[in-house]
Amino acid sequence: MARRKRNPKGGGNTGEGDVNLTPMLDVVFILLIFFIVTAQFIKEPGVEIIRTDVDNDRRVTPLAILIAIDENSDVYANKTLVEPNEIGFTIKALREDNPKGEIVVQADNNSRAEILVRVMKTIFEIDGINASSVNVSTKQD
Amino acid sequence: MRGRTSRVAEEADVDLTPMLDVVFILLIFFIVTSTFVKEMALGIEPPPPPPPPDQITNPTPSIIIEIDEQGLIRVNSRVTDITSVRANIERLKAENPQSAVIIQAHPEAKSEVIISIRDQTASAGVSKVNVVLSDV
Repeated sequence: MARRKRNPKGGGNTGEGDVNLTPMLDVVFILLIFFIVTAQFIKEPGVEIIRTDVDNDRRVTPLAILIAIDENSDVYANKTLVEPNEIGFTIKALREDNPKGEIVVQADNNSRAEILVRVMKTIFEIDGINASSVNVSTKQD
Repeated sequence: MRGRTSRVAEEADVDLTPMLDVVFILLIFFIVTSTFVKEMALGIEPPPPPPPPDQITNPTPSIIIEIDEQGLIRVNSRVTDITSVRANIERLKAENPQSAVIIQAHPEAKSEVIISIRDQTASAGVSKVNVVLSDV
């Protein structure tokens, strides 16, 4: 940074090297705080699913954990395949990173009811005190 | 700020460059890692835990919606089309306002059917619907 050369009277006639950074700093700080506040570190399941279009859905916020059931009824979390009997451990591990926020199950339209109910039961056993129901992802409008 | 004639009044002139570097790096990090995931979801209640044996008799008859392997829907053992589940529930609810709704799905049924039936029960004004698996 160039050293400022100021007149003893405070006039500052050598204007071209002396850019006032304060407004830019203000803007940069506001941007920084905005992105810090809105940052949510969600590990996405990484599979594409087809959702159902329903009327009574709501926006889930804050979002914490996503569990996906794909069309072959395989369960995915954090871009990895989860064995059916390890779903509970996976959710608990993801809960450690994200203690607050809601869990959403992304169930494909063609996935089997058995798997969906099993995943819902597992989530309910872990989160049952906080929630009366398990969120199942639906198509966005 | 006081003007400077020599190098004596140094204390007022803080060099902001390192802080700006850090702030920019933080800003870029948060911009890059920010994901705006938006999820719409419908709440579905899983099967309730089994009640103690002495309370197993339920005084109010429940509305039972069965979904079989092929996706055939029966509301209180009457075969129903997926679009008219809501009308059926509203009719049964008018007869018996206290009755609970249970969705009994075959393990091989599709999730789509469960979700859309749960949606229709919510449209019909039933707040709590339990989804259970039928015994094969």
